[in-house]
Amino acid sequence: MKDKIQSMLKEAKAAIEAAASESSLQTAKSNLLGKQGSISQLLKELPKMDAALRPEAGKLLNQAKNELNEIIEAKRTEIKLKASEVSADFDCTVPGTLPQGGALHPITQMCYDLNDAFRSMGFEVFQEDDITSEYYAFDKLNFPPNHPARESMDTYWLEGHDSGPTNEKLCLRPHLTGGSVRYMQTHKPPYRFVYPGRVYRNEATDAHHERAFFQYEALIVDKDVKFTDGKVMIQSILSKVFGREVPVRMRAGFFPFVEPGFEIDMGCQVCGGKGCPVCKHVGWIEVMPGGTPHPNVLRAAGLDPDEYTGFYVNIGLDRLVMMRYGVDDVRLFHSADLRFLGQFK
Amino acid sequence: MKLSLSWIRDYVDLPADLEIKKLAYELTMDTVEVEGVENLADRFANMVVGVIEEVLPHPNADKLRVCRVDIGGDVKEIVCGGINLAEGMKVAVACPGAMVRWHGEGEPVVIKNSKLRGVASFGMICASDEIGLGELFPASQEAEIVDLSAFDAAAGTPLAEALGLDDQILEIDNKSMTNRPDLWGHYGIARELAALYGLPLKKIEPFSTDVKSDFKIEIADPDRCPRYIGVELEGVFVKPSSFEMQSRIWRVGMRPINALVDITNYVMLATGNPTHAFDADNISGHIVVRRAEAGEKLLLLNDKDLTLTDDDLVITDAEGPVALAGVMGGAKDSILPKTQRVILEVANFESTGIRRTALRYDNRTEASSRYEKAVDPERCDQAAAMAMAYFKEFYPEMQVTGWCDRYPKKLERAEIDVDLDWLAKRLGMELPYDVIRGKLESLGFDVAVNAFARDSRKMHVIAPTWRSTGDISIKDDVMEEVARMYGYDNFLPTPITTTFDHAINQKDQDLLRRIKEYLAFRCGLQEVYTYPWMNDQYVNAILPNTDGVLKLSTPPAPNLSYIRSTLLPNLCEAVAKNEKYFEEFKIFEEAQVFFDRNYTSPYDPAEALPEQKRHIGGAFVSAKASVEALFREAKGVLEYMPRFTHMEGFAFERREAPSWAEPAVWLNILLDGEIIGGMGLLSKRASMACGIKNVKAILFELDVTKLRPLASRTNKFTHLPEYPVSDYDISMLFEANARWEEIAAAILNGKKPAVLKGAAFVDEYRGRQVPEGKKSVTIRLTIGSEEKTLSSEEIEKCAAQVMKKLGKELGAVLRAQ
Repeated sequence: MKDKIQSMLKEAKAAIEAAASESSLQTAKSNLLGKQGSISQLLKELPKMDAALRPEAGKLLNQAKNELNEIIEAKRTEIKLKASEVSADFDCTVPGTLPQGGALHPITQMCYDLNDAFRSMGFEVFQEDDITSEYYAFDKLNFPPNHPARESMDTYWLEGHDSGPTNEKLCLRPHLTGGSVRYMQTHKPPYRFVYPGRVYRNEATDAHHERAFFQYEALIVDKDVKFTDGKVMIQSILSKVFGREVPVRMRAGFFPFVEPGFEIDMGCQVCGGKGCPVCKHVGWIEVMPGGTPHPNVLRAAGLDPDEYTGFYVNIGLDRLVMMRYGVDDVRLFHSADLRFLGQFK
Repeated sequence: MKLSLSWIRDYVDLPADLEIKKLAYELTMDTVEVEGVENLADRFANMVVGVIEEVLPHPNADKLRVCRVDIGGDVKEIVCGGINLAEGMKVAVACPGAMVRWHGEGEPVVIKNSKLRGVASFGMICASDEIGLGELFPASQEAEIVDLSAFDAAAGTPLAEALGLDDQILEIDNKSMTNRPDLWGHYGIARELAALYGLPLKKIEPFSTDVKSDFKIEIADPDRCPRYIGVELEGVFVKPSSFEMQSRIWRVGMRPINALVDITNYVMLATGNPTHAFDADNISGHIVVRRAEAGEKLLLLNDKDLTLTDDDLVITDAEGPVALAGVMGGAKDSILPKTQRVILEVANFESTGIRRTALRYDNRTEASSRYEKAVDPERCDQAAAMAMAYFKEFYPEMQVTGWCDRYPKKLERAEIDVDLDWLAKRLGMELPYDVIRGKLESLGFDVAVNAFARDSRKMHVIAPTWRSTGDISIKDDVMEEVARMYGYDNFLPTPITTTFDHAINQKDQDLLRRIKEYLAFRCGLQEVYTYPWMNDQYVNAILPNTDGVLKLSTPPAPNLSYIRSTLLPNLCEAVAKNEKYFEEFKIFEEAQVFFDRNYTSPYDPAEALPEQKRHIGGAFVSAKASVEALFREAKGVLEYMPRFTHMEGFAFERREAPSWAEPAVWLNILLDGEIIGGMGLLSKRASMACGIKNVKAILFELDVTKLRPLASRTNKFTHLPEYPVSDYDISMLFEANARWEEIAAAILNGKKPAVLKGAAFVDEYRGRQVPEGKKSVTIRLTIGSEEKTLSSEEIEKCAAQVMKKLGKELGAVLRAQ
């Protein structure tokens, strides 16, 4: 019996070894361990044996069965590992599939980046309507009655609302600052808010001039604000948005609604301040006007200018995005051209 | 505005070694923006004065000559086609390396040693327009070489030096000085630089005369003409002015004409005060400055024939208007070759009236653009004095036969009290009083503290006249002057403090951002921006009519007058534009829309603003996808929007069909029973009207102002199932008009198996293998139990019950496999 088992095992191992696939292994297994398999055949011989030899033979058979099971499972794992689903010449250089291709407009991206930066410093985001009255667009902002910006060659007036007293004349807002007065009128000081929005100017367009463009206003009003605070704020915001230290300088500028007024320049991000065509070789780019709200503007908002002061900036979003990506034509922002917009993720 | 540095030096002794870059920087930081600096000599690099020693014929060309030219220590042969070449003549020689324009046209080219028709030529002898000097040395005929014999310059002298053109030109951004009329001129900038550098400013002494005559000026409207100096001169005539005057005028961008006109332009460029010369023989009677009568006629110098309004200020003589005051002279009195007597006008006009008139006739001039900034009437003294000095220089024999200075409306200097404590608080630092006073006095302010109260902290400031035309009027203006003269960079920043008592919580803002990010990032739509005005073509294609749509009174173009009440017309335009490049895309836009109704304002009872809303709209566009697929994609985006963006959910119903939609394919979107938006397939008719050729488009639009954000991120947790849940698909044939809504209701409403957890639409199919009038719908049943693992028999039993119910209620039959 022992010899029979030995020779059976030898054959069985050879059969298992020869199996090349899971199915042939399965066939081999049932030939060995199945109801009609070799082990069963040998088991059937046990009763015919000498009783004294039976326990020994049974034990051997059992061992053989366990051994075969182990070998089969080991072989099964081996076959599984060998069986590859891919061919050896699989091409890993084939490009990946594009995920959902949508994106926010580059102006929106910049606006959200700024919102995040300002919000981290406790600013609210304010939003207001595009159509406003001359009263809010100009009178409340200390524009003299004959200021050229009020004329139709500069501002889009609405048909049927383009004459009469300034509270009845309506236009597409030429700037956001009038809306800031609305915010101040309806909230209690101190103020800390940003006000993104689109503004409109009736003018000829070219690569650097648009009829509709985006501004981003930030305003702090409190009892003790100095213009140097404004400089720190701008520096901090621009550095966050551009991801590196951005030098900022403030120089004399004039706008009716601020006193004193500043032109605020940032170090050119294209050349790093060395001078290049983008910054007209001066190393600085004019990005925003700013200053202390004019006492008349604070009065228009119902505040006492001897008690309150503040700091205001108005960031040109279009220009900032042009700077960020080297876009050379401002009109592309309103083109709805997906060949352009698809470049910004 | 262009400024010549050497001209500025006439009025202030700037250090000889002053770096122009530094000056430009300091002006930019403290006063006005210097946009650029040009070293004029750069234009004439490698050009020298040459003296022609010999003119020889060219062996191979009749029209060319070979000149031997002394260019300073060296005699070179230069081939030249000039017609006025002569021995001994001084000429401009462009040596190799110089930039010239051939015949004054095209792009500049670099001069090289070359051969002309076989003869070697060193550089080139230039005509005036070849080296950009056509206006200073106008050629009388073609191929005329510029003759520099009159200049006292040796051969070899650099051309710029010989002509006095080694000057620096500053280009100032006009926008940065609209509020500083005092800076419009070399004298004004010199005054500012004198203050910045602490240098003395040269005074221009007023002109005086004791001439007695009946020459007089009358001002009928002192508000519009606060001052008018008239000077009558005899013994003048038309001739060129000095080369230096011509050169300066040319350097800053104007064109020299003749001595009489050049003087008036020069004085304007120097002082900022425009002046004008009339031919006195064409003036009858005396000059009256008055408003025009409506309908009066005036022919301008530039041949514009005006019919005047009573808002126009005019200079008149006994016969009528002779000039449009502060804007332009008339044709009748202009300076002509025969002129022998002139009346010089040095006047001051009110700014806004000049601007209105210049704009009314679209006739802005150097004069009007200065007057409209509000010029100080005191400046007339300097302008008149400077003009008279030049008349005397150019016409030593000239006689002043009349002088009249009318000054009915004297300018008041602005007086302001400034509290020194207030100043210190606003500046963020306390400057010594002496420093403050010093800074202000350098700018021409008079400053005093109240002498009677020893500890007074009040400063009394009187602005100079040239800053009193509106520029300086309140204490904040004074603070600005102190701060900028002290130097903005010298104030140290202090950090802004923050507080912890108000975390920003703006639900509407956050929702809008979530929606946009959902559409862009999760749903793959590209955000676009379009203008608020709509093209008539798309208005007509999309809107049933234009009732209640607002219009611009001066639109960007005649067909862009309507401003949007819906985002769809502009989205359709975007679809039409992009279908040229893409056969499949998805876009959205968020913007305001406007309605001619419900005029009101929450800010001011006197204000009446139209109804304005914020919409979000979009388009799902494809040339190849089926309408069903496109529709399901769009609907899915909208259906799941509330879930993903955390706002109150909305419903879809068919209530009011949009005019632009295909009749079978549209839905209204409702929130609490109110329609807040919709979606649909752009109809064939509307597509054609939009010029959309190859793509199908599902449009949607939502009123964002109606959406209601949830208070915070809202998700519901349920325990994971303890026993397996199975999906089981069934495909059944239904009547073709059976709607999913009904099928779902039949499955899930009423009596249903306890183990049925849900039923979802998989797809529907019509066509081959499906009988006419029927459709096959595949439904995914979700089956499971909380108590045990279901056997396959139990799952199949549930499915069978569902199919039986569908058969009973909707006549559905199992689709043959």
